[in-house]
Amino acid sequence: MASSEADTVEVHPVTFPPQVLARISPELSLQRHLSLGIRPSLKRFEEFRDVHIDQNTLSRYKLENAASEDSTNSVLGSNVLKSGKTFVITSITGGIVEETLPVETEDPGEQELEDLTKGRDEISKFAPVYPLVEVERGRVGAPTDEEMTISQKLHDYVLHSGLIPKSSLKVQCGVRTTEKSGEAKVLYPDEDVDVSTSIRTLSQRKWSYVLYAKIVVFSRTGPVFDLCWNSLLYALQDTRLPRAFIDERATDLKMTIRTRGRSASVRETYEILCDPRRSIPLKISRESVGYASSFGVIDLDPEMALDQEDHDMEKEERQPILLADLDTEAEEACIQSTICIITDSNGNLKNIDILGGGARVTPAILRRAINLAQLRARNLEFLTAPEV
Amino acid sequence: MAKDIEFSTSENKFILDALRQNLRLDGRSFDQFRDVDIKFGKEYGDVTVTMGKTKIHCRISCQIAQPYEDRPFEGLFLISTETSPMAGPQFENGNSTGEDEVLCVRIIEKAVRRSGALDVEGLCIVAGSKCWAIRADVHFLDCDGGLLDASCIAVMTALLHFKKPDITVLGDRVTVHPTDEREPVPLGILHIPICVTFSFFNPQDTEENIKGDSNAEIAIIDANLKEELLRDGTLTVTLNKNREVVQVSKAGGLPMDALSLMENCYKAYTITEKLTDQILACVKEDDSKRNQYAGLLSSENARDAT
Amino acid sequence: MSIIASTGILNHVDGSSEFESHSTKVVCSVTGPIEPKARQELPTQLALEIIVRPAKGVPNTREKLIEDKLRGVLTPLIARYLYPRRLCQITFQVMEAGEPELEFSQRELSCCINAAVLALVDSGIGLLAMASSVPLAIIKGQLVVDPNAQQLQESQSVHTLALEITESGKNVQNILLLDSTGAFTQNELFQILSQGEERCLTLVQELRKVLGDRINSEIIRTKT
Repeated sequence: MASSEADTVEVHPVTFPPQVLARISPELSLQRHLSLGIRPSLKRFEEFRDVHIDQNTLSRYKLENAASEDSTNSVLGSNVLKSGKTFVITSITGGIVEETLPVETEDPGEQELEDLTKGRDEISKFAPVYPLVEVERGRVGAPTDEEMTISQKLHDYVLHSGLIPKSSLKVQCGVRTTEKSGEAKVLYPDEDVDVSTSIRTLSQRKWSYVLYAKIVVFSRTGPVFDLCWNSLLYALQDTRLPRAFIDERATDLKMTIRTRGRSASVRETYEILCDPRRSIPLKISRESVGYASSFGVIDLDPEMALDQEDHDMEKEERQPILLADLDTEAEEACIQSTICIITDSNGNLKNIDILGGGARVTPAILRRAINLAQLRARNLEFLTAPEV
Repeated sequence: MAKDIEFSTSENKFILDALRQNLRLDGRSFDQFRDVDIKFGKEYGDVTVTMGKTKIHCRISCQIAQPYEDRPFEGLFLISTETSPMAGPQFENGNSTGEDEVLCVRIIEKAVRRSGALDVEGLCIVAGSKCWAIRADVHFLDCDGGLLDASCIAVMTALLHFKKPDITVLGDRVTVHPTDEREPVPLGILHIPICVTFSFFNPQDTEENIKGDSNAEIAIIDANLKEELLRDGTLTVTLNKNREVVQVSKAGGLPMDALSLMENCYKAYTITEKLTDQILACVKEDDSKRNQYAGLLSSENARDAT
Repeated sequence: MSIIASTGILNHVDGSSEFESHSTKVVCSVTGPIEPKARQELPTQLALEIIVRPAKGVPNTREKLIEDKLRGVLTPLIARYLYPRRLCQITFQVMEAGEPELEFSQRELSCCINAAVLALVDSGIGLLAMASSVPLAIIKGQLVVDPNAQQLQESQSVHTLALEITESGKNVQNILLLDSTGAFTQNELFQILSQGEERCLTLVQELRKVLGDRINSEIIRTKT
């Protein structure tokens, strides 16, 4: 009896609901989605997520409204960027450092040397920002490799794109003078000619601003470098720098120190103060502004396609296809070939990062990606344009 | 160091038996230091020291910094010795917390930095606000024992070889002249400490070592990796050519006869003398090679002539 | 291009190499396959630990980024399925950067890639393809292959290209890495790809020659 029953056993193929399959075999799930012409996130192949931004909501200087300034806030510029489910919050803070290596000298003898060095370094004309990226994972700890590499990339690319000329970070230092009446007054050299001569005699030192950016990413769903870059760029475009001054009385402060029987007079470091009321916008070179778009390249595998019966005889060539704006875990894990492009809407490329660990990155695909990135840059530029 | 390397018992026994018969595996005598080979890189302060199969690279760099508040007349000097798996898989990247690694770093620190081998007062630019910060990065490329001795040679040779850019101080404005504009200046080196490490082996049992009168303990100079792993005790003496003891370190290990330590110091002195001469000769030779065209390149000379 | 390269220069690792081009010099060592730490272990593949150490100072985020890029280049080259649950340590020591470290890392990155290929072959770890890498720069519209430090500083844009090369170093399989930054146009980009490809193909022949010479010298030694 038992044997006759065994003869009629049927073999059922194992089936999983899509959510389970996506967990068990993300590769297969992704390929099946793609064979239908759609991605697991239900986007089309070349579709980007919508981007919303909020400018300067966290900053000390609210847009076009100096009166509403919050003097306890040290954030000089900020941006909140939302793309799909991911939030990126960028806040720019600043500091002032003394330039230890003054290049410009007023000595006539050194002038010829200066001419020699002028124009030698392209890169030395530009300044970076110092970013700190945090991708929230629900726990604290040492920075992950991803956070460190994104930070370093942002630093390198801001520097190389020539976005911030060093000249715009130079501190035009003012002087605070105390009138006989006891009233303190701050004068700046670009407003008052007398001050510019007096300040040169007071101080031979030079200061410059440094910019720090803290970028926090919430609910990361895929690679985030492009989002961080765009958020940083938006924030930098609306950053204002506080004016700074030195106190007239503090300019020639000397103090004597004595160690091991030797003494010398040591000039005290200047107390440089930031003006609580006045600020100037950060001048960035507008033609260097570019926005980032990310892409992935993957081979469509006909064997994994959903409608297999249609073409089981004809051996199809694996076709690489381009996916825009990588999102979801499956895409991040399965797509080894990625392209990240920073460009402006006119096709002036700032940065291209290609990693070709998987599918072949053909010139045609690269051209298409650059084209899409350009279109996207136009859309993203439009977000900051003043509303009509 | 080298916790993960294990040798077979028979190999251990073989090495120890050979030592009892006054033989070392690499054919050296007990107090023979390995030949030291010193090579310079393209830039100043870039030195590779090869000692048998041990290879160490040392790189000196400098930048302008602010001096410590309590030492306004002194520059900064830092020796960094970080391990990487390049020297052997027993090392972990950047993890120098192992007992032997810490000891090694401390002894180099004592031998070179704290002995005042580098004149830190000469690094002062503007008292209290600007000084040179000199940094020595020691990279262990290949480890076959004697890391300490080789590192010390590498650091000292690199310091002697290094030149920092010339500066002009005008009030509190400091101008740094690029090396192609003005001849760079060497550092002030006050003496050249040389480390010599002895490894001790006990051929008899522990009781004989402590109570007995034979003093038959074996002391060898400049052990290689295998000998280092088997040794019962170690002594590092640092001397300079002026017959001064800079540092002596014998942290526990096999109890040794006090007089034999004196004898060891004496042996170390001859090695120190030889190595010091070799280092100075190498630096001098390289310097003359570089200075071949100095007269042509120097802008100062051209200006003086007109 | 003048490169100086050698393999098998270190004694306590499985594979090692030294690669020098202009004044950039990198030593690479490979140890593996060895037992990994629990957190590194991959159930079906060889895990890679990539360490880059700078010539001066302690490693920081700059080296982390170079490591990240190297990982992207080396992972597809190695036949990782051959060594499941094993670890391969690839360590780089930059001996001379040959470029201003604060602003550039292109020369170091491309030398690291070339050194890694040599050291991996020397170590006997299974590879799927060869690779070679070259830095490029555009100075006032002129493309410079393998620029030196001075040229990097004058450049408007800098690029690092690494190609996967198969069939005895004749066929370019894929772009492993293109890292371009600065200001450039699409035309310049494709110019970089074509000229970089040319140089990568000749470079891979030079790498093959270095490896061939090494093998030849060893064969002779065992005969006599």
